[in-house]
Amino acid sequence: MKTNNLNAGNTNCKDAGLAYAEPGVINKIFLLATLMFSLGLLSSQNALAQRIGQEIMEKVYHNPSGDDMQGDLTMTLINRQGERRVRELRQYIKDDGEVEKRIMFFLSPADVKGTSFMNWSYTDGSDDDQWIYLPALKRIRRISSDGKSDYFMGSDFTYDDLGERHPDEDNHELTGEETIDGRECWVVESTPKESDYMYSKTVTWVMKDNLLGLKREFYDERGRHLKTLQIKDYDQIDGFWTILETEMKNVQREHTTNMKFTNISINQGLADRMFTERSMMQGI
Amino acid sequence: MLKKFIFISFITAIFTVPSYTQFGDELRIGGYARNYTGVLTSEGGELSILQNTLNINLSKRGDNIAFRVNPYFYQYFDNEPEIGLREAYLDIYFDNIDLRVGRQQIIWGKADGVFITDVVSPKDMREFLLPDFEEIRMGVTSVKANYYFGMNTVEAVWAPVFTATKMPGEGSIWRPEMDFPVPPQFDHSLSDVKPSVENSEIFLRYSLMSPSADLEFVGGYFWYDDPALHMERELDPATGNITGLTVSPQYHRVSMAGGSFSKPVGRFVLRGEGGYYSGRYFQTTDPAVPDAVVKKNYLHYMAGIDFTIGGVNLSSQFIQEYILDYDAHIQNDEFETTMTFMANKDFFREKLRLELFAYTGFNNEDALIRPKITWDFADAFEVLGGANIFIGEEGRFGQYSDNDMVYIKLKYSF
Repeated sequence: MKTNNLNAGNTNCKDAGLAYAEPGVINKIFLLATLMFSLGLLSSQNALAQRIGQEIMEKVYHNPSGDDMQGDLTMTLINRQGERRVRELRQYIKDDGEVEKRIMFFLSPADVKGTSFMNWSYTDGSDDDQWIYLPALKRIRRISSDGKSDYFMGSDFTYDDLGERHPDEDNHELTGEETIDGRECWVVESTPKESDYMYSKTVTWVMKDNLLGLKREFYDERGRHLKTLQIKDYDQIDGFWTILETEMKNVQREHTTNMKFTNISINQGLADRMFTERSMMQGI
Repeated sequence: MLKKFIFISFITAIFTVPSYTQFGDELRIGGYARNYTGVLTSEGGELSILQNTLNINLSKRGDNIAFRVNPYFYQYFDNEPEIGLREAYLDIYFDNIDLRVGRQQIIWGKADGVFITDVVSPKDMREFLLPDFEEIRMGVTSVKANYYFGMNTVEAVWAPVFTATKMPGEGSIWRPEMDFPVPPQFDHSLSDVKPSVENSEIFLRYSLMSPSADLEFVGGYFWYDDPALHMERELDPATGNITGLTVSPQYHRVSMAGGSFSKPVGRFVLRGEGGYYSGRYFQTTDPAVPDAVVKKNYLHYMAGIDFTIGGVNLSSQFIQEYILDYDAHIQNDEFETTMTFMANKDFFREKLRLELFAYTGFNNEDALIRPKITWDFADAFEVLGGANIFIGEEGRFGQYSDNDMVYIKLKYSF
């Protein structure tokens, strides 16, 4: 609104300048001052919103989640006809502040049972390291981490969705505050710094009291709403706020993936040996 | 004597397991049932295979001990049913050491579809390279010890019983071409390698998994799995022509040292593997060599790259075999070059997969092209359709140019 007014004023000024030299100069000075003030105000407001947005997302990122976690994951894929496919796996995660190591053991369906997948992601932004063990081949294979935009086991989650994205990878801006189901949330819009990222932006509703993301909307490269992630259940486990059930709905393809986490335990002192060749091949 | 030694080793291993060891977990049962029907395209639709398979995995695991048994059953339309044990072993876990005793598949190396340093498990080549690799590699009766420190692993394998490559039988369409000047008599009296400590095989491997690269160094002193065909010629004293030929397949010791790596570089994964074989036997036509085999050193190596473009996983490998100190009478070429190409892509949330794997032989301008389509009809139930297309007239793949086939596999995993 302010911008529109300024534009109109500027146009008037040009016209006025042709007819009256003296008043035109005064008008120009006045309008220029107004423009600079308004731009400065707008700029400072934007900067403030961006700074707060950045701070919120950093707090979310650094929200204590324990040094290690283990638990079972049941993933239910639901298509537009309501048909369901279920995948089960057990995962172990350890984070020493520099490297987050994650290993997943696939339990069902039967044709993927015994497969294990290990991912090491680095806080310094280095490319992830990934390995997969296929029991039929009895060999661990190194795979490229380039496929972060690939969907995980046919679900609506990409590999990147499953990891924690570092806040420095996006520009953030606090766009408002909303209450969802009685939970007060900040609404933060995040735009990726890299130009060819799979999402043009994400919008996250962050609960003020526990700094968990309650909801996130993902927008595709053309800026169209693609997916919505919602937290269905969360609780404090071993003293840490933990997500217990999430649902990702692809609104364009009308496909939903529900993830339920059970048997979770945190800070049990997971040994580094869990994230090795031995562990991948032995399975659980 | 050897059986007693193995028995004592086995009992010693079991009794050195900590006393708190127990099988705490329930018995796990898995496996698959499969129908595999293949039709030759060049023979007016003649069945090349009609096989029904039941493959069962039984395992049980405790804190420090586990076992696994993998029996399989094949039923054919034109052959006797076959029953066997792909694996049957006992695992004993210590703090940093694992012991595995029994029949087991041991897979080494980083190459896909070729065997360079992958020398421990023998191969079942009765249907050439067409079965799944799990079925091509046979279990080897052995004791395997793994020692772990950090991301490093040292593995030692002792195999007291030699198992040779299973070759296609007489009359099989997969029997390799063998050119003999006259129809030979086969003498298998020297083909046996009797199980003994002296005849046992030893393999050693060191591996490292690290963020920058995965490395593997291997070595072995073992029997080469393919026989050398020693020949005895009978000559007509008047004409000098060969009038009779006795072929005696024999197995020989070979030493091998090599290694492999895989390294991520940006969006690519680079792979390499190489093995140096000391004392491999090759067939020769040199009239000065009375039994038609010569012993040479040999190099086998591969360089490969994996990457993804537009959701299509792509992979290519350059493979070369090189006979050192070559002489022109050797039947194999001094250099034999092969390349492989692989492309696959998943569709419809991994319900449908298209795949193409191809071997291309440069020496004989031959190839094997294997397109496949896999449809996950339901969880754990897949339908796979494919073709095996052999191109060329001679060479490793071209020799099977009459064996082009299309096939379908129905597989239910449980």
